[in-house]
Amino acid sequence: MKYATTIDGKEYIVEIIDERHVSVDGKVIEVDFESIEEQPVFSLIVDGKSYESYVYRTEEDLEVLVKGRLYHAQVEDERERRLRAASGGAVAQSGPFQLKAPMPGLVVAVPVSEGQEVKEGDVLLILESMKMQNELKSPRDGVVGRIHVGAGDSVEQRQKMLSVE
Amino acid sequence: MFNKVLIANRGEIAVRILRACRELGLKTVAVYSEADRQAMHVRYATEAYLLGPAPSNESYLKGDKIIEIALQSGAGAIHPGYGFLAERADFAQAVEDAGLEFIGPKPSAIAAMGDKAIARETMMKAGVSVVPGTEGTGNLSDEELLKLAPEIGFPLLIKATAGGGGKGMREVKSLDEMPVALQSARREAKAAFGDDNVYLEKLILGARHIEVQIVADKHGNVVHLNERECSLQRRHQKLLEESPSPIMDEELRAKMGEVAVQAAKAVHYESAGTIECLVDSDKNFYFLEMNTRLQVEHPITELVTGVDIVKEQIRIARGRKLSFTQADVKINGAAIECRVNAEDPYNNFMPSTGKISHMVLPTGPGIRVDTGVYAGFEITPYYDSMISKLIVWGETRAQAILRMRRALEEYKIVGVRTNIPFHQAMMDSHRFMGGQFDTRFVEEEFSLEEIAEGKETFPEVAAIIAALVTHDQTERAAHVVRRGDRDTSNWKWLSRWERLSK
Repeated sequence: MKYATTIDGKEYIVEIIDERHVSVDGKVIEVDFESIEEQPVFSLIVDGKSYESYVYRTEEDLEVLVKGRLYHAQVEDERERRLRAASGGAVAQSGPFQLKAPMPGLVVAVPVSEGQEVKEGDVLLILESMKMQNELKSPRDGVVGRIHVGAGDSVEQRQKMLSVE
Repeated sequence: MFNKVLIANRGEIAVRILRACRELGLKTVAVYSEADRQAMHVRYATEAYLLGPAPSNESYLKGDKIIEIALQSGAGAIHPGYGFLAERADFAQAVEDAGLEFIGPKPSAIAAMGDKAIARETMMKAGVSVVPGTEGTGNLSDEELLKLAPEIGFPLLIKATAGGGGKGMREVKSLDEMPVALQSARREAKAAFGDDNVYLEKLILGARHIEVQIVADKHGNVVHLNERECSLQRRHQKLLEESPSPIMDEELRAKMGEVAVQAAKAVHYESAGTIECLVDSDKNFYFLEMNTRLQVEHPITELVTGVDIVKEQIRIARGRKLSFTQADVKINGAAIECRVNAEDPYNNFMPSTGKISHMVLPTGPGIRVDTGVYAGFEITPYYDSMISKLIVWGETRAQAILRMRRALEEYKIVGVRTNIPFHQAMMDSHRFMGGQFDTRFVEEEFSLEEIAEGKETFPEVAAIIAALVTHDQTERAAHVVRRGDRDTSNWKWLSRWERLSK
């Protein structure tokens, strides 16, 4: 199986040949890969060099922590790739941005209102959790759509709070 | 004299105090909220009683209920830890009125140091310099502030009275800039805190946050246990502390220690306390505030002085004299503490909640971990994000840094994000290694990306891991679907097949 893996913007074609071999951009490498105790912790030995990694799955990508550095990885297998190519390569980039609660907490303030224009980096909502106030910012320019929560509301993790269109 | 202690706290500090009590042969009483039924402090204590629902004001802040539990369980003393009720003079008074011992200073000392204006005045009377400013003098108008500004001197800071986190804060270099700065600071403070009151404070350039630990008994003996360097902060939260401070010399240490002892004597202090100071680049120091309680970072002092501060607090509360004098206090080596917070350093230190699924603690020579969590414990949004403290000791500061690097690499916490990568980057920072930093370093000059620059990277390794993880998950998903096909084990299947073919 071939995977197109993008690490921080650079693409690597990784082919899984068998349990012990992969190729990266055509170069065959012997690997020894173990998942530790069913945890998102993995051990990889390549050429006698040992790497330990934490892998977190977020909504957009995989986050791979190796030797104190975090890499953002997007992985697509061949089938997904073909499908995307067939659909004209249109990546689902548009559509409204849904601001979801990154953690359970209490909404302190919503400094924007429905229909308001916002710029990338503008504060959309202030969420309090663990005694800290966190400013949640808009990832892009747009117009504020529906606002589902107000100051004083408690929210669960991943609860939709508002959208930017 | 009491022989059972109620610990009015949770998390790592409750566990820390429980340990001291156990070593002294005292019985312990834990209190807990509904969210903490499975917490370590509940399981470690001799007795444990429910306070109420998870939010602090319905549980750990219920002073009356805590005193009631102490009386009913026969505990003779209450240790408040830090945070929650630790610096509430009214609580300390209520404990005393109930005939119990409060393991901490007298209510009058807490009150004197808790009021900024009184604290500053007390310090000035004791001959201690304070950061020039108008804090604690009430809410002043723009005209009054403009009149006072030249007396304080420039550059100065306008700070929000209700403030924190840099909101409503403005740096002013001259009187001309001030009217505009005042307006915008008030506007920002109003928006952030609903209160537009501000005060002025002299801006100390290149300031370091250095504090002195003192212990005082009920017989008038006060001894200081040297300093802690706490300049590495973010949003006024300390992240990393060390003792001794890399900028300290014997003369300054003796001077600051003497002042700290004077300050403690001025309020008839008892128990452990800390005098926080700002030290400027010319090594002038100014009093900031006194913390009338045990501090988060007390272990680094314990490692370099050999004094168990919590046990000392308990002995003092039992009326004993200090077991050592100032001359006995020495500095042995160096200690560093990293506060491990459930925060994502790659995402603006956003708090992270969830269940800790896996945890490996660093061990081996010179390592101490104070923690209240374990694999399987749920990190909730109700309390502070600090989940543990990693403390190391080394013969020298350099040895301690090397050891901390090693320990951070060993420390595995899975299930929630932690700021461990931040600490790892700090241990690699040349500025940190050189001891050249001030209180603004973390927020204004330090960046994870910059530290990582020029270091060997492993994008290929990350690509292989990401592909293998995705592949494994796809395979496993397919495997689950296929499993029903042959649900006996392969060995059984093989032997049947062999018998059939005979």
